[in-house]
Amino acid sequence: MSTFVKKGLLEGVFAKKRKSCPFTAAGVRHIDYKDLDTLRQFISERGKILPRRITGVSAYHQRQLAKAIKRARHMALLPFVAQD
Amino acid sequence: MTKQKKSLYEGMYILSATLSDDARQKVLEKISQGISNRQGEIHKVFDQGRRKLAYEIDGRREGYYVLLYFSLSTTHIVDLWREYHLNEDMVRFLTLRAERVPEKIEFKPIIQE
Repeated sequence: MSTFVKKGLLEGVFAKKRKSCPFTAAGVRHIDYKDLDTLRQFISERGKILPRRITGVSAYHQRQLAKAIKRARHMALLPFVAQD
Repeated sequence: MTKQKKSLYEGMYILSATLSDDARQKVLEKISQGISNRQGEIHKVFDQGRRKLAYEIDGRREGYYVLLYFSLSTTHIVDLWREYHLNEDMVRFLTLRAERVPEKIEFKPIIQE
């Protein structure tokens, strides 16, 4: 009984929280490169695109997101590299 | 023989921020003429004003952003780009296919916990 509880606790500690894609949840069809407030949530302080392993974005949306960020960078809306 | 296919496009332009209002107006006219001379049609213009560039482009720190929605025959886009590359008052441009002309440039925030 006690081992069972312990096991359950350990699982609780190490269990990964299932991340859900914010775009899928919001029902986003198309990620626009002009939507800077959203795009900024998915780049690091340095200006790098965050991997979806961290953000939990679905593969479909990550592809769109990457394209949108790159377009925004081209138009100087987002930095390629953020200076400190 | 057949009618050329027209598509809806959105074009974003960064114009030099050092231009005077008149000069900028002229550049804008030139852009719209470039479209209308090719039997294109301009649907909407969003003047987004002066904005700080995220990084320096040719020594410029600021740019004047204009967003244009137009329809044009797909074959003319390449000509248009060639013309844009020669325009020195245009810092950057981006033309993309658009699905519709939006009323406003506005986005709903996506909710994140």
